[in-house]
Amino acid sequence: MRKTLHNILAVIFLGLLAFLGLAISAPAAQREFTFSMAYEIPGLDPQKANSIPSAVVGTHILEGLVRVHDGKILPGMAERWEISEDGLVYTFHLRDALWNDGKPVTAHDFEYSFRRLLDPATAAEYAFAAYGIENGKAFNKGEITDPSLVGVKALDAKTFEIRLVEPMDYLLGYLQLMCFLPTRQDVVEHEKDAFATGAEHMVYNGPFVIKEWKHEQIMILEKNPRYWNSDAIKLDRAVIHQVHEQNTALNLFESGELDMVDIPSNLYEKYATEGKAKVSLTGADDWIKVNVRPDPKRPWLANKDFRKALAWAIDREEYLKISTKGLYIPNLRYVLPIVAGVEKHYAEEYPLEYYTAKADPEKARAHLKAAMDHLGIDDPAKISVTYLIQDQEECRLMAEALQDQIQRTLGISFNVQIVTRKQRFLQEGQADYELVYSGWGPDFDDPLTYIEIWGSDISHNNSGWGNKEFDDIVAASRKETDRGKRLALLFEAEKILLDEAPMIPLQLRRRAWMTQPGVSGIVRPFIGSDLDFVYATVEK
Amino acid sequence: MTRYILKRFLISLLTVWLLVSVVFVLVRLLPGDPFSSEKLTPAIRANLEAYYGFDQPLHMQYFRYIGNLLRGDLGFSLKYQNMPVSKIIADSFPYSADLGIRTILFASLVGISLGVIAGLNRGKPLEYLCIVIAVIGISLPDFITGSLLQYFFGLKLGWFPVALWRGFRYTVLPTLALSFYTIALLSRIMRTSMLDVTGQDYIRTARAKGLSTFRIVWRHQLRNAILPVVTVLGPITAAILTGTFVIESIYAIPGMGKFYVLGVQNLDYTVILGLTAFYGIFLIAANFVVDILYGIIDPRIALTGRRN
Repeated sequence: MRKTLHNILAVIFLGLLAFLGLAISAPAAQREFTFSMAYEIPGLDPQKANSIPSAVVGTHILEGLVRVHDGKILPGMAERWEISEDGLVYTFHLRDALWNDGKPVTAHDFEYSFRRLLDPATAAEYAFAAYGIENGKAFNKGEITDPSLVGVKALDAKTFEIRLVEPMDYLLGYLQLMCFLPTRQDVVEHEKDAFATGAEHMVYNGPFVIKEWKHEQIMILEKNPRYWNSDAIKLDRAVIHQVHEQNTALNLFESGELDMVDIPSNLYEKYATEGKAKVSLTGADDWIKVNVRPDPKRPWLANKDFRKALAWAIDREEYLKISTKGLYIPNLRYVLPIVAGVEKHYAEEYPLEYYTAKADPEKARAHLKAAMDHLGIDDPAKISVTYLIQDQEECRLMAEALQDQIQRTLGISFNVQIVTRKQRFLQEGQADYELVYSGWGPDFDDPLTYIEIWGSDISHNNSGWGNKEFDDIVAASRKETDRGKRLALLFEAEKILLDEAPMIPLQLRRRAWMTQPGVSGIVRPFIGSDLDFVYATVEK
Repeated sequence: MTRYILKRFLISLLTVWLLVSVVFVLVRLLPGDPFSSEKLTPAIRANLEAYYGFDQPLHMQYFRYIGNLLRGDLGFSLKYQNMPVSKIIADSFPYSADLGIRTILFASLVGISLGVIAGLNRGKPLEYLCIVIAVIGISLPDFITGSLLQYFFGLKLGWFPVALWRGFRYTVLPTLALSFYTIALLSRIMRTSMLDVTGQDYIRTARAKGLSTFRIVWRHQLRNAILPVVTVLGPITAAILTGTFVIESIYAIPGMGKFYVLGVQNLDYTVILGLTAFYGIFLIAANFVVDILYGIIDPRIALTGRRN
C-alpha cells in the first residue's frame, strides 16, 4: 500500500517536472513590436473609417485587391489584373485566400464592400474616393437607388470588375485606402451596430488578426496563420498602447517599454544631433488660403500682387526653425514633391522652385507697391489683414513668426485670429475668413490629389478663386490616357495656381521617429496609413 | 427619513434633467459641428446628418434624446463609430474610480493629519512645515507634479513604472500626483477648523475636567473640526472619481478624464451630454452621502427637520 502511494507520488512528481519543463521551454522567442498611438482608434469598419489610427490597424488586419508597401504596388487579394485599352475597365483575378474563420475571400465580398462604401445609408465619409467609379457619385448622392448600376461587379467568385468614368492610371495605388478594404456581408448583417467594435465582432483577411482590444488602453495584434502570405510575416505580435501625452510615450520608449516612438518637434534637434531621429514627409502640405472675393472693405485681397507680396515676405526657413526646430521644411511649390511621376518622383520630372526658402523683401515690396498703385493706396499702414488659425501651440508659434516677418517687411498690419479647430472648419467652409491656415493630405499617389481641389466647382475650394484655363487643363488631364502627357498638363495647372496665388505655399510636414536597436523594416507611408510594419521584424 | 430621501431623489431627477437640457442647448451653440473635417463634401455631410438624425428639427432631436435617456440609452458617440456612450463610461469609469478611491483615501489621511498637526502646533516650526507643504501643493499644477514624479521616480530612479496601468506598482505615481492638491486643500481647511475649535468653551471645559490631551483631540476637537472637510470632500470625490484629464493623460491611464476634453474638442455631442449626465448624478449622490454623514458625525444636524 505504502509502496503504491510512493509510486503514485513519484509519477505525479515526474509529471509535474515534465510539465514545468514544458512550460519553461514552450514559449519560443516571440517577435513582438510595441508602439503607441496618441488617440483611440475611432473605428475599424473599413468603409466608415476616416482617420489615420484606423488606417494603421486596418491595413494590417485586412487586405484589399492590392497591397502598397514602401510605395510599390504588390498583388494582394488579387494575384493579377488586366486594364482595358481605354483605361476604363479593370479586371481583377482573385487568389485563393481565406478569411480568418476559414471562409474563402470572394469577388462578391469586394462587390459588397464597394457598394456599401457608396450607399448613402452607410454614411461613409470617404465615399467620395469612389466617385470615379461609374454611377458612384449618383448612387451616393441618392440620384439613383439601384446599387447594381454602380460600376463594380463580381463576374464570378474569383473575378472582380471595376468600371470607371474616366481613366485613372493611379487607381491601383488608390485601392490601398482603408475604405476600399473588404468586409463580408454576413458578418456586417449579423453584427449590426456591434460590427468592428471588438476583436470578435469582425473578420480578418490580412497579415494580422486582433487578439485583444481594450478601448483607450491596448490593442494586441497576432499573426494570422490563415493569411495567404503568412510565411513572409516575421512578427508574431504587435502591441499598441494608447498614450495621449507625447512626453509620456517618449519616457516609455526611454524606459524600454516601446519599440518605436514619434519625436515631438521641440525635441527634434536634440535627437537629430544624437543621430537617433529618422525623418520622412507625412504628405501634409500646408498653405495660407486667401479669400479673393471682391470686398470693398478689403480690396487688396482680390489683388494678385498683394498676395504675392505676402508670399515673398515670408521667410519659410526662419519661421519653421522657430516653430518646429526645422522638422517641417519649406515648400517652394504647391504639389508634394514626392508623389509619383512617370518613372521617378513628380518633382524630379517636373522640377519647379517658384518661391525661395528665404524671404525676398525687395520682391515683396515691389509687389506691394504695384498693388497699392493699382488700388490707389498711399500708405501700407492703411492695409490690414486677419489670419485665421486654430488653437494649437504649433499653429500659434508659426502665425506669430509670420506676423512679425510680414509686418516688418511690408509695414501692413497682420492680425491673427485664434479659434477652435471646429470653428476653423466652420468659418473656412462658409468662406468667413480673409486668410486661413489650411492644407491637404494626399488620398492617392498622384499630383491630381492636390490639384483637383482648386477646381471652381469643388466644395473644398472656398477661396472664391476660379480659373477657366485651370479648369480646362484639369478636365483635359482627366481624359488623357498617356501618363506623361497627363502629368505635363497637371504641371501646367500647378503653375497657373502659383501664378494666380489664391494660396501661399508654406511648408511640407515631416515626422521624426526612432526605434530601438534590433527593430527593422518599419515603413512610414504618406498616404492613408502612416505606419507599415507588415514586413518588419524585431531581433532582441 | 424615507420622505426626505424621496424628496431629495425627486429634486435630483429635476436637477439632472435641467442640467442635460441646458447642456443640450449649449453644445449646439458651440461654433462648428461634429462632422466638419478637412475633406467633407456637402453631399457626404448630408448623408452623415441623416444617419445620425441631425436632419430633424432641434426640438425633435431633444425629445428623442430625453426619451432615450429615460430608458437609460445615452446614444452612440459621433466620433467613435458604433460606440455607445454608456459603453465608453462603463469601460473607462472603473479605472478613474480605482485611481480616485486610492487618491481620496490617501489624500484624506495625509491631508487631515497634516491639518491636525498644524492646528495643534500653533506657531511652532511643525505648523510652518505643514503650511509650506500646503502652499506647494496648491500652487503646483498637476501637469508639473505628474511630469516631475514620472521623470524622477519613473525614468531616472526606476523605482516605479513610467506609465500604463497594469497593477499596484503602476498606481503609485499617479495616486501621489493626483493627491497633492487634495492634501494641500484638506490640510488647510482642517488646520483652520482645528484652530477654530481649540478656542471653544467646551474644549476648555474638557480640559478643566482633566481629560487626557488625546481624548480631547480625538473625541471633541477632531469630531467638531472635521465637518468642513466632509463638506468639501463630497464634490472633490465626485470630481476625482470621474477622472482627470491631465494625470490620466500623463500616466496613460484609460480613464474617463480625456473624454471630457476630447468630447468638447470633437464636438461629440452625445459623449458630452452622456458624461455631463453621469457626472451630475455622481455629484448629487456624493452630496447626498455627505448630508447623511453630517448626521452621523454631528447628531445635532437632523435630516428630517425638528422633531417634536
